[in-house]
Amino acid sequence: MSPRRKSRVVWSLAAIAIGLIFAGAGLWLIDRPDLWLWLITGTVFVLTGAVGLAIGDNAPQISWASIVGAELIVLYTLTPVVYLVSLSLKGGNADVNQGGFLPHDPGFTNYETVFEFSLFQHALFNSFGISIISTSISVVLATFAAYAVARLRFRGKKLVLSVALAIAMFPVVALVGPLFDMWRAIGIYDTWIGLIIPYLSFTLPMSIWVLSAFFREIPWEMEQAAEVDGATAWQAFRKVIVPLAAPGVFTAAIITFFFAWNDFVFGISLSSTERSIPVPASLAFFTGASQFDQPIAAIAAASVVVTIPIFVIVLLFQRKIVSGLTSGAVKG
Amino acid sequence: MGIRARRRVAAIAAVAGAAAGLAACGGESSGDTPTLNWYINPDVSNLEAYVTDEDGNQAPGGQAYLALKCSEESNGAYDITVRLLPNDASQQREQLVRRLAAEDESIDLMSLDPAFTAEFANAGFLQPIPKEQQTQLSEGMLDGAVEAATYDDNLVAVPLWSNTQILWFKKSVAEKAGLDMTKPVTWDQIIDAAEQTQTTVSVQAKRYEGYSVWINALISGAGGQILEDPQDGKDAKITIDTPEGKAAAEVVSKLGNSSAAPPALSNADEGGTVASFSAADGGFLVNWTYVYSDPNVAPFKDDLGWVRYPQTTDDDESRPPYGGINIGVSNYGKHTDAAYEAAACLTSAESQKTYAQSSGNQPARSAVYDDPEMKEAFPMSALWRESIDAAAPRPLTPYWSDISTALYSSWHPPSSVDPDTTPEESQQYIEDVLQGKALL
Amino acid sequence: MASTTTLEPTKAAPGGRRAKARSPESAENRLGWKLAGPAVAVMLLVTAWPMLRALYLSTFSYRLTDPDNREFVGISNYGVVLSDSLWWRAVGVAVFIMVVTVAVELVIGFAFAMVMNNILVARGLVRASILVPYGIITVVSAYAWLYAFQPTTGFVNQWLHLDPGTNLFDDFWGSIFVICLAEIWKTTPFVSLLLLAGLSQVPNDAIEAATVDGATWTQRLTKVILPSMRAAIMVAVLFRALDAYRIFDSPFIMTGFANGTAPPSGLVYNAMIQRVELGLGSAMSVLLFLSVLIIAFGLMKLFRVDLSQVRGD
Repeated sequence: MSPRRKSRVVWSLAAIAIGLIFAGAGLWLIDRPDLWLWLITGTVFVLTGAVGLAIGDNAPQISWASIVGAELIVLYTLTPVVYLVSLSLKGGNADVNQGGFLPHDPGFTNYETVFEFSLFQHALFNSFGISIISTSISVVLATFAAYAVARLRFRGKKLVLSVALAIAMFPVVALVGPLFDMWRAIGIYDTWIGLIIPYLSFTLPMSIWVLSAFFREIPWEMEQAAEVDGATAWQAFRKVIVPLAAPGVFTAAIITFFFAWNDFVFGISLSSTERSIPVPASLAFFTGASQFDQPIAAIAAASVVVTIPIFVIVLLFQRKIVSGLTSGAVKG
Repeated sequence: MGIRARRRVAAIAAVAGAAAGLAACGGESSGDTPTLNWYINPDVSNLEAYVTDEDGNQAPGGQAYLALKCSEESNGAYDITVRLLPNDASQQREQLVRRLAAEDESIDLMSLDPAFTAEFANAGFLQPIPKEQQTQLSEGMLDGAVEAATYDDNLVAVPLWSNTQILWFKKSVAEKAGLDMTKPVTWDQIIDAAEQTQTTVSVQAKRYEGYSVWINALISGAGGQILEDPQDGKDAKITIDTPEGKAAAEVVSKLGNSSAAPPALSNADEGGTVASFSAADGGFLVNWTYVYSDPNVAPFKDDLGWVRYPQTTDDDESRPPYGGINIGVSNYGKHTDAAYEAAACLTSAESQKTYAQSSGNQPARSAVYDDPEMKEAFPMSALWRESIDAAAPRPLTPYWSDISTALYSSWHPPSSVDPDTTPEESQQYIEDVLQGKALL
Repeated sequence: MASTTTLEPTKAAPGGRRAKARSPESAENRLGWKLAGPAVAVMLLVTAWPMLRALYLSTFSYRLTDPDNREFVGISNYGVVLSDSLWWRAVGVAVFIMVVTVAVELVIGFAFAMVMNNILVARGLVRASILVPYGIITVVSAYAWLYAFQPTTGFVNQWLHLDPGTNLFDDFWGSIFVICLAEIWKTTPFVSLLLLAGLSQVPNDAIEAATVDGATWTQRLTKVILPSMRAAIMVAVLFRALDAYRIFDSPFIMTGFANGTAPPSGLVYNAMIQRVELGLGSAMSVLLFLSVLIIAFGLMKLFRVDLSQVRGD
């Protein structure tokens, strides 16, 4: 048996084994209705293995190890998300209290609740507004700075990079106290601008890195070439450089948006009413419809709602995000 | 259960409060009518003025209803909008402190836990009340309620309702355990009874204010107190390392390490304890009086019993916790005169009666207790009043939030409490925290 | 792509505009600062200024709700913090979370990177799914894991047939376990993507040569693959370690810093925002900042690499 063939057989069998373990564990341990999850997972793995064995050597370029691995990755990344969706569909306190993964009495009441709740609507509006504004400003400032860093020689360039690096490592919580004190003194506590300013500071380092990495890859000779060909400097910049730089700017914008959308610390410390409260902070302070209600399912529904934009962005722009993340080696 | 079904759709709300609620009913302030923002703690209906049952019948709700009613009665003098604070008392305080420290003009009235009233008054967050108005506002109020709203010999807030905890139990469980509930019971007895019947004793023992409420009641029940000379602020004398403190620790430790402890004991707040009490293996619960109005206990209301708060020791009478809500008027609001007028209306005898009937929260005015309708709606109202008279409030010190946090931190989780060491350690810790020598 | 070059520690400095040097150096200096200046100013505005204010406030005993008793206490706040076991415990908790999560994330992240490196079908799908945990709001992830492990309402206890009384959030180890789990779930994708970028740096002929020489899989891994991924691993460790040390959202949501799970950032929050104890809180802010600096420098020393070089400067 060739090593390639041997590895294919081994991994096909491994997939079948994983599948059987899932199905078996499900039958052995898990009550209805959650049992279905385990059976379906098991079936997917068994089928993978069966296809792997049946397909023979006809598709040698497909590594079965990686397919089983990919299935495990998807299982890993999506389980908690699917659980949130499932929790959000649970039909009432009784259903929630029953526990388990899948709802017994599915329905959309929690979504109705969440959307009837005006603080949450305000929070969505605030979060979109604040995130988009700070992303735009941050990307513009970062583009200038990154251009300087990537293309110019000037004294203090190292300083710019060091400041960016230091800010990226800065413990955000250490700032909220003094910022709260200052913001209340100058009267921008609980306002959009009060959140936009700190978001700017903390997204700039990432944007600068992502962008300067992109700018270094741009073949700037083309600009000169265009100028030689008679284009003005502005035309050369607009026609040649902008299209090349745009993907980088876009990537930086996405990663910046993620940061602003995700922020919690500034949100809970520097805002408090529907005037400026962002989504993550509003989630943390949900209460039930009355003092007797546990808001678990409603929080889950709200969580699903605020994850949808992330999902869409990730599906549409995954390639850009990955290249941005690894080029700048930053994190949002 | 009908009420509940409607409520779920009603409104979920959060800390900072939604602009929802009364805007629709009260009508946006037209012309000169000042809008007063009232920050309320969650109660029976949160932002909804009415609760609606399955058949579509409407009944008055909680504070939101009072706001609506008083706005109407004011004939345009003011228009109250309710905004909601978080569920637990510590977070309510945290929210208000932050906003008041920022001198936020959008707070006019606030529902304040008595435990934090002293701190707010000391910080200058509350608008001082003229002396004559103080007498007027406090007339007919229970002494305990007035005391809990007084700081530095001034009435600084107006009691809306007073509250106390009683022992709720399932009659079937007590019967099975052979426990005579007509006589005062001790913590030992109910824990033993629960162990014996394989049921649980639910107490608020999450790492939050409610846990300090329990500890304070236990220490007071043994005849002690958490501190002496509350007016000394950070130099008050802490008295937890005492035989009374030890007696309290014994109860906490016993329940914490008992099979009678519900699974989520160390994470249980008021709502969580009602949930574990309502579960099949629920046996006993100490909780505020509003439990009677909680839809979770409706299914077994026939089996629901209530007696006075359990005793810490065999000999001393119990000292139930004192709670409730005072209405404070912010120093930074724009309409303080209207706000005091509104506070007077919200806390009138009539308001308190309506509020008690809808929310199950006890009135702060003694006259309301004698009302026949009240007696009929709440068969245990005599016990309520007796409990309030016997209640031990938490110390009225501006530093209560620090003391409380240090206290519940060092006693948490209940299973880790050691009667021989915990009281001493927590006393030392509280003293250090007050003196700025230890972190929280 | 860009990734392949920037992760090389020894990348040559880019040519830059100097190549065509139409203007004297001072003009380029000015332009450089004109372009980079605003960004630097904004970054410093929200960090340097509050930090200086924190330094100033940290010399007072000052509680916002007791303004009359504000007094100058010199550096005694620092003494209080540094001599308090709670502070050191918090540092210990953060370091524990840091070590555990980074170690686990490197292992899982490497496995994921290997898979993604080899996979030929459904690449986009796998990449998109791995970006979901990365992009999801940390608070949402914390809620998902918190609810999953709740004794009655969650599913994990039921699936594992644990005793109904089991509540992981009852004690320190249970709480810290779930906190680490949530953290690992959320940030492993970031690590795996960095490692994937590093993996594509590994010269294929070197691996083949090693295979021909009869090297075992382990030998290939430790002698060829990992050494050529050094830069990527280093960046991943540095960034994740600093992030993990600053952890705040998950313990805030899951335990409210109960059961001794408060990291230093939790203590700072409690002092500053909850107790409005600005003096002591400011001192802790300063110390938190210093401890992050120490860890950052320690890691950089450990890797013997100047980070700004890694950035491709």
